[in-house]
Amino acid sequence: MRIRRAMRLTATLAICGLIAACGGGDKGATADRAPAGTSAPAGRGLKIAMIAKASTNPVFLSARTGAEAAAKELSQKHGIPIEIAWLTPPAEDGQVQAQRIAQAVNEGASAVLISCSDAGKVTGAINDAVGRGVPVMTFDSDAPQSSRFAFYGVDDIKTGEAVMRELAPLMGGKGKVAILAGNQNAPNLRSRVAGVKQEATKYPGISIVDTFYHIETPQDAAAEVIRVQNAYPEVSGWAMIGGWPLFTQTLLTDLDPKKVKIVAVDALPAELAYVEKGLAPVLLAQPTYKWGYVSVEKIVEKVHLKQDVPQIIPMELVKVTKENLGTWARQLKDWGFTDVPDAYLKQP
Amino acid sequence: MRKILASEQAGLVLVIFILGILLTALAGSHLDRLTGAEVNNFLNSYTLIQTATDASFFAIMAVGATIVVISGGIDLSVGSIYALAGVTMALALRALGPMGPVTTFMIGLVIALGIGIACGALNGLMVVGLRVHPFVITLGTMWILRGVAFVASHAESILVPPVLTRVAKASLGMGSSLYPVPMLTMIVVTAVGAVYLSRTVMGRHVFAIGGNAEASRFSGLRLWRIQIGVFVISGLTAGLAAFMGASFYGSASCVDATGYELYVIASAVVGGASLAGGKGSAINAMLGAVLIVLIRQSIRTLHFDQNYEWIIIGCATIIAVVLDRTSASFTARRLARAAK
Repeated sequence: MRIRRAMRLTATLAICGLIAACGGGDKGATADRAPAGTSAPAGRGLKIAMIAKASTNPVFLSARTGAEAAAKELSQKHGIPIEIAWLTPPAEDGQVQAQRIAQAVNEGASAVLISCSDAGKVTGAINDAVGRGVPVMTFDSDAPQSSRFAFYGVDDIKTGEAVMRELAPLMGGKGKVAILAGNQNAPNLRSRVAGVKQEATKYPGISIVDTFYHIETPQDAAAEVIRVQNAYPEVSGWAMIGGWPLFTQTLLTDLDPKKVKIVAVDALPAELAYVEKGLAPVLLAQPTYKWGYVSVEKIVEKVHLKQDVPQIIPMELVKVTKENLGTWARQLKDWGFTDVPDAYLKQP
Repeated sequence: MRKILASEQAGLVLVIFILGILLTALAGSHLDRLTGAEVNNFLNSYTLIQTATDASFFAIMAVGATIVVISGGIDLSVGSIYALAGVTMALALRALGPMGPVTTFMIGLVIALGIGIACGALNGLMVVGLRVHPFVITLGTMWILRGVAFVASHAESILVPPVLTRVAKASLGMGSSLYPVPMLTMIVVTAVGAVYLSRTVMGRHVFAIGGNAEASRFSGLRLWRIQIGVFVISGLTAGLAAFMGASFYGSASCVDATGYELYVIASAVVGGASLAGGKGSAINAMLGAVLIVLIRQSIRTLHFDQNYEWIIIGCATIIAVVLDRTSASFTARRLARAAK
């Protein structure tokens, strides 16, 4: 029994060692943050806890880049240290987000910036944070019933309407449309679906076959599109309220641009090939970098400069087509995306 | 003192203690926004209770799942039972409309526990009736039950009545923003689980069939009853965790506790339960859950790259299981030598 206890003790101590060993990894990801013992304390600087939906989703990585850029610029401008503490869970989980809000508050965050995976789950934690003197701002996906001071993001109903409005002329005003809708639990995505359906009623020649939900990974989304296309060969238009499947190259070969047209939200580097090929002649880009950049600006205005900030700060979509592909590609590169193909950067 | 040091839990407690000291020393501090006092980033009542709260939902399920593991089985469906119990409770309470606080609480509790027991009984009956390994049965029900939760809820996040949140977030006189109820529930469930396993005849039977099912059969134990019973207990604890989770966070949805079955099983094995059956402890399962949550907490508190979280927990689980097997083989050899 003594041997067994000693071995279990060894095992758990080895785990502690493993944690310590991992501290040296990914310097780039943590370079802009102070070490734990010297983190920006309340009163002498700003420590903003940023909690996006999932750290595996590239749109949130660009939001983080924007937040860190804003923190750096505003630190110099106002002469205070501003730290972004990235507390995003690896996979979407509202419960974990709620736990991380509480953790951020316990560790002295000056403000919390969150994109809510499940508004119902995080509302209580947001209210607790605000009750303990920590202001909370939401971006991308709101928790409107909470005491957050502001929300920055697109109007989701209008985004859904815009997707359908762009898709209808591409289909000649007639045909069958499938809606690709991501996680059915996210309130912002549900609103976009409602917007697509609402707009579709204006086109008598267009009917919606159904709304298709899926796990929000590129492969799962692409597989869902192919499954649906096989089951409904008459579908000639895809209203994608997020660009998940376009992060793969699968649909470039599996769908015929002469028969099917896609309009999707988001236009990140991997998706630009779909515009060039004509399968997705229009992408409606959310400037995801600005999620971080603008939100940090607003938090600094509210917390440091004590200014009033509007409760709803609308984000405008950018329409990306073949005509402005080069301009958009260069914009993405300026925002820190390293995977923008050279071919697009050279386009006018 | 010697008895405490010689206890089965001493190793885990010591490691949790050492990790706690490391975190206290390295976490740094901040100025409290309301009082202006300097507060250690780890060693403060908020963080400690928050850590215990985060662990409590896993730990409550881990106690039930450990009993299944001790019996030689495995329950992969606990996360899905959690989701279905939470969603059913929230839907039922929404359909019933406003009621008195006690009635709301009791109906919510009964529904969540009832769904947990029903799902556990379904698992047990299928394992016994179809004579299929629990891994396969619970793998199937993991998808079935989550699918039922999905269909029933239309993937909506359903709010639960505020009275449940008030109960789950009662401060019990500890001050605002301190919520000890999930932690206390975890302690009570662990104590009940420990008494069940070590002080009751049924608990002894669970160890017996996990240690040697054939010998237990020949000694007259009704294996089918024990097998169904352990799955019912596992379902019951998942239902209770769902009740606490939905009440604490204020809503329930079909994606709740996705992947938690792995954390629950990891808690059991890190706590020393043998997947071969016959070995395990409710207290150790709770300590295993606390250790896993503490590891997650330390990654963030010490500003390490959190992308290492899955790697560390995976390594912890493998190390625990490998060492468990190695130590078992050492013990067997020692006993063999002693018998000569």
